[in-house]
Amino acid sequence: MIQRFVLAVFLAVVMLVTGVSTYLYLGTKQSKVAAPPQKPTVSTARPQALVLPGTLYLEQSGAIYSLSAGRFHQLTPEAGWSQPALFPNGQYLLAVKSGSYWNDVFALNLFGTVVSQLTSNQSRYGIADPSLDHWSFYPRLSPDGSTLWMTYDGLKCDGCYDLQLAVWSMPYGGSIRQARAWTDGGYYTGGDVQPIPAPQGGVIYTKYSYGPDERLVGQLWYTNRAGSYGRALTDPGEDCRTPSLSPSGTQLAMVCTYEKQVSYMTIATWNGSSLGPRQNILTSQLVAQPTWAPDGSGIAYFAPGSPDGPFQLWWLPQDAYQPPPPSPSPSPTPGGPHNGPLPSPSPPPPVPPVKPIQVTTNNGFDATSPMTWRS
Amino acid sequence: MAGGLAYFIPAAQLAIEATGKVIQVTPSPSALFSPSPTPTPTSVPITGAFTVLLLGSDDDSKFNADHVLTQSMILVRVVPSTKEVTMLSIPRDLYVHLSTGGYGKIDGAYSYGGPGAAIATVEQDFNVHVDDYIWVGLLGLIKLIDAIGGVDVVTSNPVMDDYYPADIYGSWPYDYQRVAVLAGPQHLDGIHAMQYVRSRHGDLQSDLGRSQRQQQVLIAIRQKAKQLSPEDLPAMSQAIGGELKTSIGLSKVAQMLPLAASFDNPDAIRQIILASPYTHGGAPGGSLYANWGAILPLVHEYFP
Repeated sequence: MIQRFVLAVFLAVVMLVTGVSTYLYLGTKQSKVAAPPQKPTVSTARPQALVLPGTLYLEQSGAIYSLSAGRFHQLTPEAGWSQPALFPNGQYLLAVKSGSYWNDVFALNLFGTVVSQLTSNQSRYGIADPSLDHWSFYPRLSPDGSTLWMTYDGLKCDGCYDLQLAVWSMPYGGSIRQARAWTDGGYYTGGDVQPIPAPQGGVIYTKYSYGPDERLVGQLWYTNRAGSYGRALTDPGEDCRTPSLSPSGTQLAMVCTYEKQVSYMTIATWNGSSLGPRQNILTSQLVAQPTWAPDGSGIAYFAPGSPDGPFQLWWLPQDAYQPPPPSPSPSPTPGGPHNGPLPSPSPPPPVPPVKPIQVTTNNGFDATSPMTWRS
Repeated sequence: MAGGLAYFIPAAQLAIEATGKVIQVTPSPSALFSPSPTPTPTSVPITGAFTVLLLGSDDDSKFNADHVLTQSMILVRVVPSTKEVTMLSIPRDLYVHLSTGGYGKIDGAYSYGGPGAAIATVEQDFNVHVDDYIWVGLLGLIKLIDAIGGVDVVTSNPVMDDYYPADIYGSWPYDYQRVAVLAGPQHLDGIHAMQYVRSRHGDLQSDLGRSQRQQQVLIAIRQKAKQLSPEDLPAMSQAIGGELKTSIGLSKVAQMLPLAASFDNPDAIRQIILASPYTHGGAPGGSLYANWGAILPLVHEYFP
């Protein structure tokens, strides 16, 4: 009888242990797809293995972070902050602070403290009639710092559905009454966004419109006069957006999707009025927000760190898209000691292709928010 | 076995709640999901083509829970042998003969007779056979996308809406809110994916335009499903809760996961939107007339 009791207890314990073990084991077999991204400051207790030059400013979960000397620093609280853009003098940042119904452009110092509010997009009626509020996105300052460029929905009519996001400019420190629309925002297309003031004057931007196949596509456009029609820089079929001008002002990086669920990083020369031939330099990743390093040493961008996962920070060294020129082979000196047929030159040793480098692994940055870079 | 049973209880519970049927789990859930050298009836891979009707509803408190409209109706044909997928979005405003009698917008079929009526209406009007259906409410889609950790989508254009219904988490379901989903490649959580696929006021093509966006997000969900393992099902079931109904049994879901993983060519996914010349306006109540002479050959070709 006692033996049976001991056996029963033993079996019960075995069942309990194996049951719990099986439960726990199956739990470990779960994929990690739903694991939330970590805050950059948490995930970088140690400096990153790859140290990017200067200071990079970027956004995660409504907070702006700086990345300098391999360490992230949180500049603002998680309170709807996004789209940092450096002042031309490198001493301040523009940034957007968004709420549920409106957002505004602010000037911040490099520690994330608000210096001034540059727009007032809340209507006097607040949330009573949300359509009277406004959005401002993608703020940039002109090279001389006197003009604030942005995407703004100031053309919409009361009660209309079309927001007509357009490219606007206003004096820095001025009021929205002094602002003027440079583009018309199209008609139910998504509008004109991402203005990049060109060093030679005028502005490059992304225009969304219906292509010949009646699908909405992005195109890079350029205009040098407010109210003028402007000029397309890319074809509708290329479906390009997110222009980023190189530090020298002679190259443009962009993202092109060719109307598919892909995004290639593409670069082209820029002569101040038109683009040269396009070169797709990254075609294997979902690329977003290409941003040139101020010293021209490469391009930072966002792309998923794992298939279909959140966007991480990546770095493409310059050698990947501008290979160094081959070293000159020694040429025989005329009349020198060499006589007879020239030896056939031996082929140069194969150069391994330069691959992009993943800088972060578990952060999940906002891929719609541009980065900005201080040298 | 007890541990395996306990582990998969949430998934089985969801299957029972979602389908209203008791799922036979033999010999045990763990055996059901573990690769077995001897195929059991539940682990036979899906080889035959099948058609699923996806239904999406605004199921907020504005509506009687049993009588909701289906704002989104997408026929999906999967051919495992050729790894081809065809998605056909049916305009919610299509003026059709309803299976429950009379004529009306096709989005009303579900409200009159539930999934059975929606399936019967699609079958009779489009001359197709529907094998299964999946119905998901607003909150269900949000929870589903959050449960799989979000989806990567290249949003085609800025989706801006000053009159987006604030009916999910707000206290007054008739309120509006402003939404701004910016364009480009991005990782969307449930809320923002919902805003992207639901907003229509800023789209010249209105419902047809958002149908294209719905198909984009569906493809992204399918893509993300490739990362899932059967062991993820319980956690997903708990997250989705009673926000999903389907005629697909738990065992078939498990069979579909590897099937989703084997579809690795996005170009093999055919997307069809019934815009002009397949439909045109002018029907009663702002609905759309169907050009059946153009629609039926198309459906016959891709949904034989």
